[in-house]
Order: sequence, then C-alpha cells, then structure tokens
Amino acid sequence: MYHFFTTLDRRWIFLLMALAVAVPILAQAQFPEIPTQLAQDTFDEIERLEEGDRVLMAFDFDPASEGELGPMATAFVRHAAEKKLKMYFLALWPVGPQMIDEAINKVIRADFPQLVYGEDYVNLGFKPGQEGVIKVIITDFRGLYTTDDRGTNVDLIPMMRGVANVQAMDLIVNVSAGYPGTKEWVQYAVTPYPDKVRMVAGVTGVQAPLFYPYIPEQLPGMLGAIKGAAEYEALVVEKYDLQLGREPDPKYLDGRRRMGPQLVAHLLMVCLIFAGNVVFFMQRSREARS
Amino acid sequence: MKRTVPLLITATVGFVLIISRFIPATVGWGEVASVWFDILAAIAFILGGSNLLKLQLKKISDRTAGWGYAVVTLAAFLVTLTVGLLKIGSPPAPDQEFFGETFAHLELADFPETQVASVDGTIPEKADGAELPLSVRRQIREQNGRVLFRGWMLRSQMRDLLDFEDTLRWQCTVERLFEQAQPPEELAPNVSYYADHDALGYKGFMSDEDRDRLLELGRENAAWQHAVDEIYETSRRTTRMPVEQLPANFQIAASLEPVLEYDAEHKELVLRGPMSVAQRNDLARQFPAAKPIGGEDRAAFLRELESLGEPLNEEQRAAFDRAIESVWTPEQLVLALNGAGAAKEEDKTACEMLEEMQAGVRNIDPQKTVGEDVQLNPRQEELVEQFARDAEFTPDELIEQMREAGTFNDAQAAELRRFLNQGSTVGEQNRTLDRELLKHGPLTPAQRDFLLQDIRSQLAWRATVAELFFAAHLVKYKWSGEYRAEGSPFWWMYEYLFKPLTATMFALLAFYVASAAFRAFRAKNVEAILLLGTAFIILLGRTFAGVWLTAWIPDELAGLRIENLTTYIMQIFTTAGNRAIMIGIALGIASTSLKVLLGVDRSYLGSREG
Repeated sequence: MYHFFTTLDRRWIFLLMALAVAVPILAQAQFPEIPTQLAQDTFDEIERLEEGDRVLMAFDFDPASEGELGPMATAFVRHAAEKKLKMYFLALWPVGPQMIDEAINKVIRADFPQLVYGEDYVNLGFKPGQEGVIKVIITDFRGLYTTDDRGTNVDLIPMMRGVANVQAMDLIVNVSAGYPGTKEWVQYAVTPYPDKVRMVAGVTGVQAPLFYPYIPEQLPGMLGAIKGAAEYEALVVEKYDLQLGREPDPKYLDGRRRMGPQLVAHLLMVCLIFAGNVVFFMQRSREARS
Repeated sequence: MKRTVPLLITATVGFVLIISRFIPATVGWGEVASVWFDILAAIAFILGGSNLLKLQLKKISDRTAGWGYAVVTLAAFLVTLTVGLLKIGSPPAPDQEFFGETFAHLELADFPETQVASVDGTIPEKADGAELPLSVRRQIREQNGRVLFRGWMLRSQMRDLLDFEDTLRWQCTVERLFEQAQPPEELAPNVSYYADHDALGYKGFMSDEDRDRLLELGRENAAWQHAVDEIYETSRRTTRMPVEQLPANFQIAASLEPVLEYDAEHKELVLRGPMSVAQRNDLARQFPAAKPIGGEDRAAFLRELESLGEPLNEEQRAAFDRAIESVWTPEQLVLALNGAGAAKEEDKTACEMLEEMQAGVRNIDPQKTVGEDVQLNPRQEELVEQFARDAEFTPDELIEQMREAGTFNDAQAAELRRFLNQGSTVGEQNRTLDRELLKHGPLTPAQRDFLLQDIRSQLAWRATVAELFFAAHLVKYKWSGEYRAEGSPFWWMYEYLFKPLTATMFALLAFYVASAAFRAFRAKNVEAILLLGTAFIILLGRTFAGVWLTAWIPDELAGLRIENLTTYIMQIFTTAGNRAIMIGIALGIASTSLKVLLGVDRSYLGSREG
C-alpha cells in the first residue's frame, strides 16, 4: 500500500478528478441548498427595491469564470426582471459584453419578452480604463458613455433620462472574476458616496475571502462562488416559482446542478490530502526507524 | 526634459485627483483627468497589440524554441483583429437602417432656395448661453425679425426646438416653422431631407411624376438635379425572389399593388424599388386570423383530429378546450371598436393656447376634444358576432358591411385590423394546441401534421418575405452592425474557439490542485496542521457534505456544525487577517504614491535612481 501511494502516477489523480466531476454531471446529482445569511442579505437588497427602480448590472467576468459566475448572473437578471426593475448593463472587461448578451438572451428575451430595450433594460457595453471608468461615471455618466453598445445616443434612450451618474442607481449588482471588479466598485463607487450608492456582488471562490472586510457596510450582500449562486437561486426560485405553484425552469437551477460535481470533487480533495498525509507520516516513521 | 514632462503630468494629475476628492467644486477637474486616463487606457490596447506583434515576429524570425506557437498566436491575433474591426459578415444594425428608403448625398448648401421656410419671430437667447439644439443648428437662423429654416424639418427636430424654450411664443413659432418647412403636399409622404446625414431620402418606388416635381424645385441647381436623378435610378431597382408555393388565397395588399407582382411563369415575386417595414408586414400577413370556435365547429374539429389517431384523453380534452377558448371573444372586439370610436382628448398646440391667452382666457385648458363619439349600433354588434362565427367572413367584408350598417370611422377600421393582427393566426393557434396536447399525452404523427401544417406554410412564407425584404434593401450603413452579431465569423470564433479554450484552461486548475493536494499539503508543523484543519472545514462546509456530516449535532451546539464553522472562520479569522493586510497595503500605497507624486520615486519612468 505504502509503495503504491509513494509511486502513484499523478495521471491516476487526474483520472479520479475527471470522474469526480463527470459522474455527478452525467448522473445529474443534485443536493438541497440551505441559504446562508449572506445569500439572504443579497436577495433582500434586491427584494427591497420598488418597481421601476434602477439597477446597474456590472458584468466583469469572462468565459473562463462563466462556469462559476454564469448562474448567479442569470439569477440576478431574472430577479431584477421579476421585480420589474430597470437594468443598466455595462462591463469593464473586454469580453463582458458577450456575458451580458448571454444573460439577456437567456433570461430577458426568452422569459420576459415584454421588456423593451431602452425602456426596461439597456446594454451600455464595454469601456476600457478599469477603475478609471468607475471614477468618471460615478459623477458623470455621459463623460464616458455617449452611446449604448449598439451606438444609439444615450440621450435618445428613454431610460437614460434623468440618469446623470451612477449615484442615480438604486443598487449596483457586480458579478466579478477579478480586476477590475468588486474591489474597484467598492473603492471608487460605494466608499466615496456611502449614503447614495448601495451594492451587492457575486464573486469567484478565490476572491470571496478578500471581500469579507467590506461586509456589511460597503457590501451588504455577497455571493461566493457556485455555492453562493446555488443559495441565491434557491431563494429566487422559492419566491418566484415554488410559492406561485410553478415548476422552475432548469436554467434557473444551474448553480444547484453544478454543486453536485463540486461536492464530489471536494470530497476527493479531502481524501487525497488525507492519503497524502498518511504516506507522509509513514515515511517519517520509516525514516526514524532506519 | 524627457523625464520632467511625464513627472509633471503625473504629479499634476495625481494632485488634481486628490484635491477633487476633498473639494466638491473641483470634482469636474477630477473627471477630466479620469477621462484622459480612460483615453490613454484605450490607446494602451493599441500599444499592447503592437508589442504582441513585435515580440511574436521576433520569436518567429529568431526561430527560438516554440516559435510555432508564436505563429498560431500571431495568426489568431490578426484574424480576430481583422474580422472584428472590419465587421466581416456582420449584418447592418436594423435600428440604424432606413428600410424602404433610398438616399442620395446632398449638402445642406445645395438644398434649393425655393424650399427655405420663414416665419415671423425671433430665436430666444438663453441666460445660460445655451445654444440651439445640435440637430438644427446648421439649418436655422434669424434674419430681419424672421426665423428661417433651410431644408425640410423632421418631427424629431421640431421636438428638439420645442424643448429649447418652453414659452408659448417660441413654441408657436416652432410649430408654424414646422408647418412651413415641409415638402410640397404631393411629395410630402415620400420625400425627406436629413441634414445631419447630408442626404436626400425618398420612400419607395419613385414615379416619373414625382421625379419631375422634385426636379422642378431646383431647376438651376446641378447638385439637386444630380441627387434626384440618382435616387430615381436606385429607387427603381427590380428584385426577383423565387417562391416555391404561394399561400392559399394569396393577395397583394393595396400598399404593394403598384410595385409588386407575381411572375407565374418563372414562379417569382417581382418587386420594384425597396420595401418598407409596413409593406413587409402586409405581404407576410396572408394567413387568416384565428377566430373563436364553438359548438358544432369545435366538435367537428375535434372529431377530425381524433380520426387521425387515438382519441384524446381527459386531460388533453381539457387542454384542447382551454387552448381553443384562449382566442378573442366578440365582446372584446366590440369593446375595442367602441373604444377606438370614442372622442379623443388631445393636447392643444402652442399657437392655439397663445391665441386663447391673447384673447383674455384666464384658465387655459391644455387639452381639447377631437372628433365625435361613435359607438356600434345593435346591427353592427350583430355583424361582429357573425364575423366571429364565420371562418370565411374576411375583415375587409366586415368593414364594408359595418359602414353600410351605420357610422364606422377610419380609427375603428384601423383598430379592427390591429386587433386581429395582434392575435394569433389559425396556424399559430394550432401550434399552441399541439404543444398543450403533448404536455398531457401522446399525439400520432398524422395528428401533429394536421395541427402543424398551417404554421409550416406560414413560417416558410415569412422566410420568403424576409428574404425579399432584405434583398430589396439598399444598405445605408454597412458597418453599423455589431462585430459580435450571432452567426458572424467573430461570433463563431468567440463561441467555438475562445470560449471553450479559456474555459478549458481554467478547468485544468482542478487537476493540478488535486495533484498538489496529494503531494504537497502535508502536516509538517503546527502552522501546517492549522491550515490543514481549516482546509478540511472549508472544503466540506462549501458543500452539502458538511451539512449532512454534522446534522446530528444538537441545536444547542449548532455552532459546531461544519457549515457554521465555515461561516465563523470566514467572518472572523479571514476578515481580521484580510483587514490587517489591507491596512498594511493601504499605508504602503499611500507612501509610494506620495513618493511618485513628489518625484522621489521615478522607477516608473525607467530610471535606475529609484
């Protein structure tokens, strides 16, 4: 046994990991989700808004992190659409517009066709400049955004009337995979205007611990990784499907579905660490004896 | 000097940004500095691209190890850049195209003098120095107590001018100017001038009479004559579209009669000139609107459906009734027609209100009643009932008979068409029926064909009409579409290369982390044991496994459940550690920033003095 572990080819570990992820996906294994307080706070932040309130949806991620952040982006858009909020989409990442398109096609065009572009939602697209963009639009939207993503003058877009800057938003929802992202929105939008700007975020697992210091003053709600998405989805589905006696659409349970592979992969990691340490202690005792 | 200038720029911008944070009056300075930063950031993309080119070309030229990868990188970069920048294969943006309209370039200065409108009045001077709206600034001027407008005024331009000042006198001047600055009556429905595009536009197929009328407006004006001739040529282009099968009862709508015909010999639709969106909709609308089915008709329909396969089960029958009854009712149509016939409240024009004010009216009502109430009489209501029951009764026949039976105005006729058009066609209703029935039980292929045959013909016809519509359209802004439009080469590369490749790269982490966990995560000392313990708790706490493993712990000791321990670790230990690190970093940034702003640290300029 000792010999087996000490000479184990790492390709066996790769195979185990592949199986740990593939089997639950193929078996469509799903487990219940109990929302944590952070997910509940995020849900409540959107829930407290009134019909017609403005929400800035900043999608700062790319296809690499779509697996982790896509479900929460979908859930955020669905929640805002159900609440009949006005959605202003923008991105600080070059491929952010594609992520916005995906969420719009998946949720708004498919399930909320009554929402009108320019009146209920608008895609302002990508702007280079990282935190520099936030620094400008927090006081002057038109300083950088003179047109939307389609090239329409923002003054001709009905829902842009009366929107002088980001302070006019009732909430910022940021889905972030790194820089620029949640940290920059907190530092340049929320912190200078604590009484006017409120924000919630959905972030990757590796980023989540970095944002705990901002909770709850600067960041009243945060969803961490796929688990956060699954918890938030559970809340949205409970309120807007199950309580209304509707069967939820599987696309709104993507986070929960992706928690299956995560569970098995985490258990495998625990087993691997344990096995690695058993080998380590056996090695030490052999060395001591010899 | 080479170093002093960047140093000064850095220091100035840095201090401006700091000052603008603390002094509200200087917020604008900070915005300007930030906008410049964003412009430079955009330029950095170009520099980044150039640098990538330089490095990869050097690798290829030197044949260094892995130069093959450099070729792939370079090729991918150049193909993406070219396809994206030139928007290859991206269709023009539909909201920026003028469907059904043809254009010719015409400078504002070449617009005929005969068409310069003028009314008595003055252009108001704004106290804040605001200038006239940009959309009209080149066209409007004041001369000898009169306001002059060159070109034909668009409604959007009138709105811009009305918004410029809200006094009744100015608004009345704008309204009169708008009336004056219009094309001659016989040309008005078709001709427009877009000053911001420097373009003369014409809607539809230009007749010889319209060309002569237009030429007459500027006899001596060569540019005008050239523009009119150009539009005349392009607006008469013929487009032919093969048609497999015409819809049953195919009719050419009145709006298309002069320009569209069916060539039975070649089985082609022949269109002269461009097609407007309204014409397209008229042509596509060849299929009857669904009507309420009741009594014997419904039973006969059900019998026919069941004769093609198995009888419907109970749930399917209930779904059948629900779907059939979801169509409109005669009562709804009567209500809509009476609503359309009611007298309308409209806003008074500024000139009307000004006139009332000058006549001494004190409380001016900004609204007026237009038209008379027209309600359907019993005979007309009976006709609506008959129309709903009779599948062969067409909307045109109904309008004709309604007019014979009593008063029935144009607004009601338009409402009747709108009401029917917004509802489903027979094909669409049967498709809904097919979906609903399948939810509750099986249908045979013959039953499905029976239900779907109409919608198949309808969709095929709509596709033909759409092809004809786009084939007849002359693109005005061919680069107006989105570079990432669905189906374009850029979209294809993003969807099938970039997206899976980046996702794969990210997913590979899982394999390396697993391998590292087995080989390197060892409990060598106390710190490592603490780290290991924390990792176990977090790994289990972030899944349902943690909840399941410690669900047996009683509520009094709920804090020891893994999911709660995870939260505790994240909120207490992680937050405390992170705050300490962040404070340290913030202090470091403050001191480094100060050194940069004061020119003590010049390393960012490439100086070795540090």
